[in-house]
Amino acid sequence: MASATDTPPGVVLPPPITERGGVGWAYANLFSNWYNTVLTFIYAALLGVALWFGLSWIVLEADWKVIATLGGRLIIGQYNTEFACPGQNCFWRPQASLLLVSVLLGMAWAVSGDKAAKRIAIGVAAITVAFAFLPYSMDQMGLDVRLLLAANVPAVAAGWVLARRTPLGTVRWIVMLGVLFFLVILVLIGGVPGVPGLQPVSTIYWGGLMLNLLLAVTGITLSLPIGIALALGRRSSLPLVKLLCVVFIEVMRGMPLITLLFMSQVLVPLAFPQDFSTNSLFRAGIILTLFSSAYMAENIRGGLQALHPGQVEAARALGLAGWQTTVLISLPQAIRNVIPAIVGQFISLFKDTLLVYIIGMLDVVEFSRAFIQGNAEYLASARELFLFLALVFWIFTYTMSYVSRRVEVHLRVGQR
Amino acid sequence: MAASESTIDTSDMIVCRDVHKWYGNFHALRGVTTTVRKREVVVVVGPSGSGKSTFIRTINRLEEHQRGDIIVDGIELSNDVRNIDAIRRDVGMVFQSFNLFPHLTAMDNITLAPMKVRKLPARQAEEIAEQLLERVGIAEQAGKYPGQLSGGQQQRVAIARALAMQPKIMLFDEPTSALDPEMIKEVLDVMRELAESGMTMVVVSHEIGFTREVADRVLMFDHGQIIEESATEEFFDNPKEDRTKLFLSQILA
Repeated sequence: MASATDTPPGVVLPPPITERGGVGWAYANLFSNWYNTVLTFIYAALLGVALWFGLSWIVLEADWKVIATLGGRLIIGQYNTEFACPGQNCFWRPQASLLLVSVLLGMAWAVSGDKAAKRIAIGVAAITVAFAFLPYSMDQMGLDVRLLLAANVPAVAAGWVLARRTPLGTVRWIVMLGVLFFLVILVLIGGVPGVPGLQPVSTIYWGGLMLNLLLAVTGITLSLPIGIALALGRRSSLPLVKLLCVVFIEVMRGMPLITLLFMSQVLVPLAFPQDFSTNSLFRAGIILTLFSSAYMAENIRGGLQALHPGQVEAARALGLAGWQTTVLISLPQAIRNVIPAIVGQFISLFKDTLLVYIIGMLDVVEFSRAFIQGNAEYLASARELFLFLALVFWIFTYTMSYVSRRVEVHLRVGQR
Repeated sequence: MAASESTIDTSDMIVCRDVHKWYGNFHALRGVTTTVRKREVVVVVGPSGSGKSTFIRTINRLEEHQRGDIIVDGIELSNDVRNIDAIRRDVGMVFQSFNLFPHLTAMDNITLAPMKVRKLPARQAEEIAEQLLERVGIAEQAGKYPGQLSGGQQQRVAIARALAMQPKIMLFDEPTSALDPEMIKEVLDVMRELAESGMTMVVVSHEIGFTREVADRVLMFDHGQIIEESATEEFFDNPKEDRTKLFLSQILA
């Protein structure tokens, strides 16, 4: 130990070795006393065993052929089968949809000051190009499919140029284009009667990861505004509005999602004209969105409760109207304070999309399960397939939480 | 500010007549009657819980009074929302805990209300804000967020924010109570300059030096009532009520 009395004034001493670098870190975190040392060795042994067996299975024993066999069907399910799209190749429609997403990502990269947008855009382009070079024969994976996959690179680039070189390069335009592209994608995938090449594909054949993503994107973009409205309604001074919001939130939160999805088969059709509501996808979308909105409302209400009452007082004292105070002062602060909870709800919603199997939709997990069950030769491959699906879901959810952390960093500028 | 020196207007800016306020069963204001004239600086003192904060918060209707009349700049405070909005535009308020908006820069804190309430164009609001930041002595901090400023700087931004609405009256609710001692002076200096410029001010404060120097009149609150009201010198040198004498002996000790 350095003796403090010998230190001349104004001299800054470096911290002791136990506080610095790898040695300091290991000392402080792994070997600081005898039981930490024992725990370190026990955990190291357990980790070693798990890795040894896990990795040796993954490398030596696992047979990943099932994933190659399923291939694009994991992405689109039954969409491009003979019943869904008779007499035509419809694979290009989801692929073209992905190109639109790539354009948006390219635009986001050009506009965003953060490296997250750039990394995601490059990541998507790189992964899709990698798929274009998969060692399938040309019979299994045609040149058209490969070209459309590779086209995601120019699509990202086109988005980037569009945002940098034209007046479209603003957040507002990207959001508006995002909504527009989403509608275009729905039309593209759903088809238009009478248009050659765009023959309608019933929503019962929409499936695979595409279905999970469509439901998640719809749910995420709609549940946030609905949740905000519900949260404000629950704090309203109008008794009827407040009552309706409380009842809605508590009913939605009080029931398991599976029950709600079941009930949607029976109850939602009652609220719509008969021919309109026979659509499972539409029902699932509504239920997922409303279910998520109820949780979202409580997250946002929590953020509003946490605000210092002085904020509203100061705004009112300046003469801002009630709605201006809410929009300009309360909500921006409340939402930024509960970003982790909001993104948690987004992630939860994304994972909940696979529950649509309950009403007979073949999302990526259900499609895989049905495939394994229907093809006895792949029964032994369930482990590989579901491990792969877990990885796919993890990549999406981790991307969401990565983006949310970057957003938090940017919003925290100069805070507290 | 723009108050003309030639014609000293002594019209009544705030008139309170028999104002009562209850919180549930608690009788917080029990018949407050007083008048604040234009360009007057009135300091409100009193023990904690005596109703002095409640009193100034009724003046811009952050608290609603249940009986009696409050007339601010000729407008009677009632449940009429237009009246309340009109009064809030004319009455600036500074809080003990600053209440700056933490998600906006100092500049944006100041320009928000002029742009959204007075509908000034952004450039004009920014010019006003720059002048005000200059006036309170922190022009160089315009781009910072409240969390990056010291308490004294935050309170000066809060004063500039209130002044940006070009109010006729400024209310201060214990503006220096939450500040470290070395920052109190910088805020009081701004308030002193404001008083000299002819602003009508109602200040809840226990800063005796400031009060002696700047206040025209002192109101002593106790149990929701004004128990003594007199010119500043008279108040300190010759208090009449025993409660006032006790209070002064405690805060001067």
